[in-house]
Parts: sequence; C-alpha cells; structure tokens
Amino acid sequence: MTPAELTATTTGRDLRVPFGIALIALACIAPLFLGNYPLHAIIIALIFLLPAHGLNLLLGYTGLLSLAQAAFFGIGAYTSALLAVHFGTPFYVNFLAAGLMAGAIALPLGIPALRLRATSFVMCTLGFVIIGQAIAKNWISLTRGDMGLAAIPKPWFALGPASFTVSGTVSFYYLVLAIAAIATLVAYLIVRSPAGRNMIAIRENETLAESVGIPTWYYKLVVFMISAAFAGLGGSLYAHYLTVVSPLTFQMYYSTTMLIIVLGGGAGTISGVIFGSLLFVGLTEALRVAPELRMIAYGFFLLGLVFWFPSGFAPLIARFWSFLERRK
Amino acid sequence: MFYTIIEQVVNGIVSGSVYAIVAVGMTMIFGVLRAINFAHGEYYMLGTFGAWFAIDYFDLPYPVAVVIGVVATAVIAVVVGNFVMQRIVGAPAEAGVLATLGVALILQNTVILLFGGSYKFFSGGYIEPVSVFGFTLAEQRILIIIVGLVTFVGLELMVTYSRMGKAMRAVSQNIECCAVVGIDVRHIALWTFIVGACLAALSGVLTAPVNVSVYGGMGELITFKTLPIIIMGGLGNVRGTFVAAMILGIAESLVATYVGLQFRDTVGFATLMLVLMWRPHGLFSAQARF
Repeated sequence: MTPAELTATTTGRDLRVPFGIALIALACIAPLFLGNYPLHAIIIALIFLLPAHGLNLLLGYTGLLSLAQAAFFGIGAYTSALLAVHFGTPFYVNFLAAGLMAGAIALPLGIPALRLRATSFVMCTLGFVIIGQAIAKNWISLTRGDMGLAAIPKPWFALGPASFTVSGTVSFYYLVLAIAAIATLVAYLIVRSPAGRNMIAIRENETLAESVGIPTWYYKLVVFMISAAFAGLGGSLYAHYLTVVSPLTFQMYYSTTMLIIVLGGGAGTISGVIFGSLLFVGLTEALRVAPELRMIAYGFFLLGLVFWFPSGFAPLIARFWSFLERRK
Repeated sequence: MFYTIIEQVVNGIVSGSVYAIVAVGMTMIFGVLRAINFAHGEYYMLGTFGAWFAIDYFDLPYPVAVVIGVVATAVIAVVVGNFVMQRIVGAPAEAGVLATLGVALILQNTVILLFGGSYKFFSGGYIEPVSVFGFTLAEQRILIIIVGLVTFVGLELMVTYSRMGKAMRAVSQNIECCAVVGIDVRHIALWTFIVGACLAALSGVLTAPVNVSVYGGMGELITFKTLPIIIMGGLGNVRGTFVAAMILGIAESLVATYVGLQFRDTVGFATLMLVLMWRPHGLFSAQARF
C-alpha cells in the first residue's frame, strides 16, 4: 500500500491527530510510571529512530536500499566522542559536528556509489561499514583501536556562565525525546515538501522522473547525505548515552537493525518508522532470555515479516484506523 | 624474496580456490533467484560442523566425514529451499536481504546453541607436507586446488550442456518466458540453491584441516568475503567469479604478508570499491544485467 492510499483510507473523521497528541502526552509523562529499565529501552529506541528516519528517506521515499547507515552512525559516534574527550566541547557542538561530519563524508562516498545499480550499490554501502570498522580498529593513534574511547562525558550544555549536565536516565530520556521529536518533524517536513514528492517520483520510476525534469542524480546524492547526517546525529547520542565507543559501533548488525525498523514499520511512512523502532526494541528486550535463542527468534521474526507482512506493519495500523472509524 | 612472493601467490591460489567454490554457488543462486544470499557462509559452516561432528563423535575417516558434511548440509538446504528460498523468487530485493539474514541468524545460532560457541579442533585431512616444484605445500592445499578446478570445469560443463544447466541459464535471463515455455521456475530455483549450498559445504569441509579451528560464527566472515567476489565477477557469471576469487585470494595473501595481517579481511571490499569505480558492472560484464 502506498502512502497516498494510506492517507486516502484515513480521510473522513481523522483520528490520527487526537491519537498523536495522546501519544506525545504519554511520552512526556512516561518516566512517572516506567522503571529505569523500560526507560533505557525506550531511549535506545529513540536513538535508533534518527538513523531509521534517515534510511526511510533513502529507502522508503527515494527507493535506494543502503546498508551504510551503521558506517555513518559510527562516524557520528566517533566524531562526538573525540571532540568531547579531547576538547571538552559542550554537547550541542559535538552533536551538530557529528551530523555535519557524517553528511560531509557521505558526499565523496555517495558520488561513486550512487552510480551503481541496485545490487552493486547495496554491496558498496556494506563495504563502507566494513572499511569503517577497519579504520576504527587500525588508526590507533586517533581511535585507540579495539580499546575504544571510554569516559565520554554525559551531555552538558553551557550558556554563558551557566552550565547544565544531563546525567540521569530520566533527564536523558527527555533530551532524546526532544531530539527525536525534532528529527521526526524535520523528516515530516522534507517528505511533505515539493522535494519529498520528487523523491517519491524517483522511487516510483526514475526514468520518468528524469524525463519530467527532476534532477534525479542531484536528489539522490542530497538524500544520501541527509540520511547520513541523521545517522551521524543518532551515533552522537549513542556515544554520549553509553559513554563508550568501540570499533563495534561499525557493524552490519546496526545496519540490519535500521533496515528492520524501516521495513518492519512500513517503509515510506513516518509513523511506521516510529512504530517500528518501538516494536524492535520491545522485541529485543522481550527476547533477552538467552542470547542464542534471542537471535534464533529474531531470525524467525524476520522470515515472518518478509512472508506475512511484506509491506511492514503500517497497513495493519491503517486497517486499525478504518476499523475504528467504521465503529463510530 | 622472490621465493616468498611466489609462495604467497601459491597460498593465495589455495584460498582463491576456496572462495571460488563458495562464490560460484552464491552467484548461481543470485542468477536464478535474484537475491543476495546473506546466509551463504552458513552452509560453509554447516558442512564443516557436519564433518567435525562425524570425526569427533564417531571417529569416522576424513573422506566419509566429507560426504556426511555435504549430505547434512544438503538436507538442511532442502528444508530452507522449500520454506524460504522458493518464496523469494520474484520478491523485491529488500525481501531477499531480510529473509536470508533471518536464515543466517537461525542457522548460526542453532549451531552455537547445540555445540557451544567455543573454538573446536578439527582433526582430519591430509596435512602432511609434500614438495612440488621446490615448494613445500600441505597435501590438503593441493587437494583444494584440484577440487576447485574440477568443480569449475564440472559446473561449466553442467551449465552449458545439461538440461538442468540450460534451464538455470534460461531462468537467470528471463523468468516470465521460462514460465511460458514450461520450465518449472520454482523447481529450478530449489535445485540451484541446493547445489550452491552443497558447494559451500564442500569448500568448508576441504578448508577445515587447513584452518584447524571450527566455530559457529565462522560463516559470517566467509559471506563477507564472497559478496565482493560475486559482484566483481559480474553477478551470475561463473567464469568471472572464478577469476575474481583468484584475484582476491592472491591479493589477500600479499596484503597479509607485506601490509599487515589486520588488513586482510578488508581487502575484498576495498578492491570491490576500486573495481566498481572503474567498471560499475563488474570486471567481466560489458553491461549491467542486474
């Protein structure tokens, strides 16, 4: 089901606005009734929401399957960590620098990669992750190799003489919630803009899009950079939340995770990605009984997703809305 | 100095043969199913584990263990092929990636769950050194090169002359037309997949005596080494894959000696990116097929 059809099924009495407000209100008061562990799980989900939004712009809207998100996630995490450890810069500087760095590195990587056709492009982006990890492991003077960078300070803000440190789980939750909300808004604005419609045109038929005058090459490159910047910002949050980064930040597993969030939630929808990231975290936390069993269950979940819900869970949500509306 | 280079090249040809046997199966599967099989290394692992199980638990001789490893993998491949791979035919690329990743997770972690995640010692094979043209090589390495060549020639003959091989080529060119002229695409897909998985298993069993250690996570590394090879060789191109595997094997061996061992596992993807910048459709394909 395309996003257009999804909106079509929900016209009439739109329940999404009140439901959305209720969800935001619930998110704001969540720390009152959730313990530290569920809150930690939601923080991770919200951190992964950023790279997932980026991947959604790339895969769900422009139709490019990329596995490079983990590479940019790692670049963001290392940029942030290095700045914080070596220069002691405040959080917002590290955070923005991580996004800019990831976006800037995406430019020289994207120019050759985007010339490739589907499968070669997927492999090339996977190569970025593998090579990123090798650099993080072997550039020991900068990254300390396998030991990683430890004791990254918790986010702190400095405005003139006043400074404030986000130390506890609850305050970090609010910080991440605010950033995730802004990122969602930005993604929504991009998608709803004329540029977003051009992206969808490229996804549906690239040749046709080019023939009506859309500069497809330029669009793909810019979206690739934006998605990398989103991943970099997520990596920065991840580094500041866990306070350690290691070469394992660059791993295929993270790329897969982001892919599952986007495809599981429903590629090409913003709400689907939010749902996907919460679902994914719920799943990994619920399966935390035994690590091997967890991975096996995860594998079966993937197969179920591919064969029973090929367009993710978003159509399911849409059906739920129309069910509610019919009842009224 | 010169002797070392030649020795490293010979070593590279040995590992190139190993990669070639795995990669040829993967590229055939891609040609027919249009799906990158992220679980391909796991069949390599399964073959090795089957043979290790036969030797360690039942004290069987190595040749019997080879057969057991390959047959065990074939049985698992029949199950996976029926339930997963056949359903991927005609699905979008993302579906293939997610489904095969799921299969990889299930196979790898089931083996770890059953046998534990630790390294195991593989005590079989022919590791006696022999001297050929002044080089000292383990017998097993010579066996690997021979099996690599035999596999390649056998596959070329099968793909060119046998009914099944012709059907495979037909499916890899146009699925709809095959359905029209009465080729059972799902049947061909299943058999291609089983042959590919068995080749991976064979490669695993042959390499085990050289690598000595066996562990549940070993398949992942092989998958990551095979992926660049099949892209460089031109997807679905058996001959190109063979050459690309040799290039990668030799490059890895030289990099490990002269640059540093820690860079060995990155050679594949680094080479791939350089090759793709120069020839976006792989080394041997004039135009993009996929």
